Order: sequence, then C-alpha cells, then structure tokens
Amino acid sequence: MTERETGEGTAGVREEAPVVLEMRGVTKTFGPVKANDDVSIMLRRGEILGLLGENGAGKSTLMKILYGLYKPDSGEIFVDGEEVTIHDPKDAVSRGIGMVHQHFTLIPPLTVAENIVLGAEPRRGASLDLEGAVKATEELSERYGLRVDPRARVANLSVGEQQRVEILKALYREARILVLDEPTAVLTPQETEDLFAVLKELVADGLSIILITHKLGELLGVSDEITIIRDGQVVDTVKTDETNEGELARLMVGRDVLLRVEKGASEVGEPRLVAQNLVVLSNTGARAVEDVSLEVRAGEILGVAGVDGNGQTQLAEALAGVRHIESGHVYLDGDEVTRLGGDARQERGLAYVPEDRGTKGLVQDFKLYENNSLKTYDEPPFSRFGWIFPKVMRRRAAEALRAYDVRPPDPDARAGSLSGGNQQKAILARELSGDPGVVIASQPTRGVDVGAIEFIHRQLLEQRAEGKAILLISLELEEVRSLSDRIVVLYAGRIVGEVSPEATDEELGLLMAGRGTEEKSA
Amino acid sequence: MSEDRPTRDPGGEASRPPAFRRLLGDAASALVFPLIAILISFVFGAIIMLLTGYDPIAAYGALFRGAFGSPLALGRTLLGATPLIFTGLAVAVAFRAGLFNIGGEGQFYIGSITAAVAGVYLGSLGVVGMVLALAACVLTGFLWGAIPGALKAYRGAHEVITTIMLNFVAILLATYLALNPFRSEGLVPGTEAIDLTARIPFIGLGLGRANYGFVFGLVAAVLVYLLLWRTKRGFEIRAVGLSPGAASYAGMGIGVNTVLALAIGGALAALGGGIEVLGVYGKMSIPFVTGLGFTGIGVALLGRNHPVGVVLGAVLFGGLAAGAQEMQFSTDVPLQLANVVGAIILLLVTATKLVELVVGKRARALASGTHLERGLGQ
Repeated sequence: MTERETGEGTAGVREEAPVVLEMRGVTKTFGPVKANDDVSIMLRRGEILGLLGENGAGKSTLMKILYGLYKPDSGEIFVDGEEVTIHDPKDAVSRGIGMVHQHFTLIPPLTVAENIVLGAEPRRGASLDLEGAVKATEELSERYGLRVDPRARVANLSVGEQQRVEILKALYREARILVLDEPTAVLTPQETEDLFAVLKELVADGLSIILITHKLGELLGVSDEITIIRDGQVVDTVKTDETNEGELARLMVGRDVLLRVEKGASEVGEPRLVAQNLVVLSNTGARAVEDVSLEVRAGEILGVAGVDGNGQTQLAEALAGVRHIESGHVYLDGDEVTRLGGDARQERGLAYVPEDRGTKGLVQDFKLYENNSLKTYDEPPFSRFGWIFPKVMRRRAAEALRAYDVRPPDPDARAGSLSGGNQQKAILARELSGDPGVVIASQPTRGVDVGAIEFIHRQLLEQRAEGKAILLISLELEEVRSLSDRIVVLYAGRIVGEVSPEATDEELGLLMAGRGTEEKSA
Repeated sequence: MSEDRPTRDPGGEASRPPAFRRLLGDAASALVFPLIAILISFVFGAIIMLLTGYDPIAAYGALFRGAFGSPLALGRTLLGATPLIFTGLAVAVAFRAGLFNIGGEGQFYIGSITAAVAGVYLGSLGVVGMVLALAACVLTGFLWGAIPGALKAYRGAHEVITTIMLNFVAILLATYLALNPFRSEGLVPGTEAIDLTARIPFIGLGLGRANYGFVFGLVAAVLVYLLLWRTKRGFEIRAVGLSPGAASYAGMGIGVNTVLALAIGGALAALGGGIEVLGVYGKMSIPFVTGLGFTGIGVALLGRNHPVGVVLGAVLFGGLAAGAQEMQFSTDVPLQLANVVGAIILLLVTATKLVELVVGKRARALASGTHLERGLGQ
C-alpha cells in the first residue's frame, strides 16, 4: 500500500520500539482556517508522546481526526504500519484507540462497573452480566493500580476517580493507544502525580499514550517525546530529556515568553472588597459556600486556590452579585452591597471576569462591539431615552479591542469566531476599560494560550499597581502563586487556610485536599 | 503592549470594506440559503408536474404572471402578503428572544375579533375609528401574548405548549363572540359589517383590492428592526435570546424580556388580524380565514427572523397563493401544487440537512442565525 517503510524518516533509526501510530501529512480546513496543515506525528510502542500547543493550535482537531470525529482533507493514518481510514469513534475503538476527553462522558447515576462496560456489556444468555462487569473492572483496576470501587456510583466519585473510570473504560475496550486530552486540568498536584504514575505503569505494560496539554512543566516529567504544534503546523518534535521549559515555551509561542511574571512591590491600602460570613447555595440547594469571610485591599491580589468544585464558582458569583446570598454581607468600598444585583455593583466599580467565558462572559453570536457594551449598553453615551447608538459602541469597542490586543480588533467580528485567548482579552477589555475599583477574576486564563496568559497576567498586575483590589480565583496553582500577595485555600466551601505565595506545593496541596489542620493565620 | 508581537495583517485598517459593502455582503450571505431552498423546491415541483403529465415551464410562467405579471396580479400578491408580514414578525421577535411562538394563529384571531367589534362601535368616527380599532388590536394582542410569556418566565411552562393551547382558546373565544354577543342580523354568520369610512383604504394605482395594510406591514417591519437593533430593549431581547447566561450575568432580566418578546409578538399578530378585518372583509364572518398564523412561522424561518427577510418571505408566500389561481386557470395544474412548493420550501428551510445533501455542508453555516435547535431546546 505504501512505498515507504513506516517508521522510516529520521535517519532510518530502528533501534527503538516499533511505531504503533503514525499520522502523516494531515490537513484539515474549516472554511478559511487551516486547523491542521500537513501535520505528521509518530507514536512508538510503550512511549508517551506529549502533544503541546497553545489553545487553538490544532491539537484537538488532530485528535478528533484520529478518533474519527472529523474527516481529514488529506493525509494518511497508519496503525501498526497499516494504512487505515477511521470513519467514526467506533472504528477508532476497534483499532485499539481510546480517548479520555477533557469533559467526562460518564453517566453519574450508574455504577463504575456499569459505566465501564456500557455499550460493550458482558452477557449471560440474553441478560446483562453485572457480576462479570464488576469482575472485569476489578481485574483491570488491580492490574494498573487504578484504584476505584466498581460498585460505587459515579456521582459520588471525586473528579480524579472519575478520570480513572474513563481510563478504565478505554482499557476495557482493549485500547492500545490511549489519548488523554488535558487530563490534569481538574486535578490537585497529588492527583496529577498519581495519574502520571498510572500512565507510566500503562506504558510499561506495552500501551502507548498521547498526552495533550498546554502545561509545559507536566510534560517534562512524564513524556518521552514532545511534538509542538503552532498555528496548525508541527513546529518541532523533541526528545524530552534534551529540552527544557524555556525552549518548549519558545517553540509553542514562537517567541521568548516570560514564564513567571515579575511582580513589583505595591502599596496596600484600605479594604475595598469585603465579605463577611458568606453562605451561598449551589443550584441544587446544597451549601456551596460556608461561612466565608475575606478582605481584598487596594493594591493587592488575593488568590483563591482550590480544586475545582469547592465553591469557587458560587463564591465569585455571590461577590459579583449574580447569585443569591443566603446569609452574610458583602461590602464594596465600605458600602454594603449584599442585596444589590450585578448591575448595581458594576456601576459601583466592580469588574467581573467570569470563569465560563463561553456562556457567561460573552454572547457568542453577538459582535464584539455588542459584547463590549454588554453591561453598559444602557448608559450614556451608548444609550439615551431608550435608544442605543451602535456607532458609538463600535468606536469605543475599536479602541478597547486595540488597547487589549484582541485579534482581530474588528468590532464587527462575531465573538464566537475568536480563539479562547482573544475572547478572554475581549472580556478584559470590557471589564477593565471602565476603570473599576475592584476586579474579580475567576479562572481568567483557563483554556487560554501562553501568549494570552502572559498578557492577562500583566493586565492584572497593572490593575494592582493602580491601587485596585483584585480577587483572583484559579485552579492553576502556579498562577495563583505567581500573582497573589496572599493566598486563601477553599475546600468544601470553607476557607481552610491562608498562606503566603512562597508556600510549598505540599503545603498547598494538603490544604486543597482538605487536610490542612493548622489554624487560620493572618 | 500591542507592539510586542508582529501584526499579522498590515493593511487591516485599509482593507476593511466600508459599512455599506459589509451590509451588502451580509445581506447576500443571508439570502443564499433561502434562495437555494426555494430553487430546490421549484425543481421538486417541476418533477411532480412532469410525472403527472403537465408542462412545468408553462405552469411556472403562469404562476409568475399571476403573482407579479400585472398591477392587478401584484395587488393580489400584496394583499396575500400583508397578514403574513405581521404573523411572520410575531414569530421573529419571539425567536430573537429564544422563544418559539406558535401562538400566531390565536393571536391573529384575537386581533380580528377585537377589530371587528371595535370597528362596529367606532365606525362612525371614520379614520379615527380605524386607528382606534387597530390600537385596540395591539393592546389585546399584547395582553394575550403576555400570558404564555408570564407562564414561561414565572412558572417555567414551555412556550411552545402554552401558545399552541392558547390557539384553541383564542379561536373558540373569537368564534363565540362573533356568533353570540356580537352576531349580526344578516344571513352570513358573523359580526356586523364595519362602516366603509372606517375601513383601511385601497392603495389604488391599479393594484386592485390591495390596501394600505401592506404599507402598515412595511412600517411594522421597520419598527421591529428599530426595536431589535436600535433600542435598549431590543439589545436585551437579542442578548437573552442568544445567551441567557451571559445576559443575566450582564444584569438583564430574563423574565421581563421573555414576557415582553411574546407580548410584542402577540401584538403584531393581532394587528395583522385587525388589518385583515378592516382592510379585506369589513367584518369577522365565521368560518374565518385559517392558517395565516401558522404560515407566519414558515415566513419567519424563511426570512431568518429578520424583518426584511420576513417581508420578502411574506411576499413570496403571498405570490405563490396569488399565482396559483392563474396557474390553475391557464394550465390546469391544480392550485394545490403551489402549496406543495411552499411546503417543500418550509421543509428545506427547517430541515437544513436536506439542503446539505444537495449543496454540501456549507449550507448549515448559511442557515445559522435562525437557531432553530435552540428555540426548541431548553
């Protein structure tokens, strides 16, 4: 079928393990956008290949092609040296390709074992063999050290455990090539370490793994080779032990990047945002925030660390005025605003960057100028006597988009057509250009590329230097640590400790896991 | 900050098309999908005619002549298009707020009975009476439309269900009023005839019975455009429709805008009913015209829920109805073939996959903007 031996290429080396997967010259376009442009990757048996790239670089597109979700415009895929056409995920599974998506595809009310065998259930006669399912799950989980109770309901599992179930699901379907899409986004540092230990176990057993991430540091510890993708093209493939973080960042972004922002000293002033004994309910009525008190002063960044789902969302929403406060008080520059809505708080100088920019921060199908006026459309000069003035909105938006480096800086571009990083910059442009006094930034860099992260961090520090009070809520420990002046850790809706940014990973990790026993220190 | 990175397109500012060309481009891309759907439907219609032994070219020629071939034909088309503009706008406004208003038919009936009753009592006032009667339609329609809006906003009842059910209530209520308390002495069951001076005058210009109702429709379309794209309220309605989450984060009230969008829709459909009574029939006789509210849904979808599109869609459907008579008269092709073509157009507009089969995946992108799936979801 092919005129070339697979695995040939870089000087015909043969001393390494056989190639189990090769994607050659894959090109995929969406309209005018080349999401993948002549991309080639190679995965050897028993190895972990890191796929590194900024958001929107084309990593996910490539993997969706591999999994049969997209059809490539051109290019070939070889599994075990044999050219294959993958029509749909079922096809991919039958070829031994397993995928662990960033957003889990589990059914919460079912048990672990039921979830794992779903769609490929063991049968005894005409009926479902549930005992068989449990046994199969136990065997797999023992073999690879993926500890999880087969009879537990998925709804009751932690995120880390759910991820293990996802991996088990792929293994149950006899995956030999495992693709993990941003697997550490939802894990604590300890859980991440556990996951990597499992991955090493798996490759030792002969599996091959593709690890998609935009976190540089992680790949260095776990992968064998790293393929860097930028703007849909492969920039380079490097051996992990011959590279370093600086080089990877440069390859990924295409220029030198400041990995750690330089944070100058700043004058800390009066408290501008104060919360007292806040209790906030989640959508299900559970108490998501329990007796939280905090104080953000002018000229400081207060970081809120914690594992996803420990009340961060509800805390941010309550402070921003878009979620009902059960009890407790919120003060903005000394005035009580507990009963005021988001609108009124914004008029009093509160800026809010919500964590979910896709459905909360922006109206995707609105143009950028409309999004830029999403909160101020009812104030002059954008509006008078009930009318709005799109021309004024457009002009203001053009200025703001330019100032915040949004690409394209076209006020008539649809928000949804922008990359994640640029969408986030567009939100910053809206929130910060009104010269707010207090900024609540909830996961401001989630799913954002390195270049944009650097920009966003600098903006936040600039706000700090101008004497704004900033509350930074983030799942990225590194981010909280490098930007914050003080850090509080949220666990199960409570603040379980306050530490300085110099605290060790272990110290923070223990607090994030709710195991901090020390007293709250000031 | 921005000079940190090299800019990718140096001529960004200069190469951007001026606003007018952008507008034309937007309009062109908005029209592509409906035009493809219409074209395919006519091809289908031709195939049906060939299979049943008719000459499609002659038939379509007659259809076109009957719709646009003479001032009289054009008048018939405009007359048919007038109520559809209003019922189409009624669906479009609600759709912009993310709501599927199936209640156009009932709202149309509410407006019709309002105009029929008010017209009789206010008829002696002439033009003033006409204006007052139409204002009454707007009011009753607004209140009628607010019912499903309030049920949705404050009780979570899905507007598709409630508007459908309210159709029955409205039709039976209007029928009862026309046959019982307000029944005329005449032989034809229905309300009394409204004084000629209080009716909507004919346009003239050889357009036959076409009346100024069509002009009112155009004005309504302009007003809807201004409402949606030039007022605070419209900004909120569109934001709520496209992203309730982002809208409520920005401090907009979802409930208020839900009620208002459906109420405004109700007012528009009712105004259409009133104009039909005051412009065409001069009274509400039972049985009354049916289906105009439902055809409005198709008109709105075909017009991509944009006022300009709604007017074009209404004229197309009005033209199909008007031309069908001429087609039957001169080529023996039955009237119903026009209905078949109209039905296929709607099928293609709503079932985008069918058009995809013919013209490829690009069609789906072109069809977006209607957010059909979202309107039905949640």
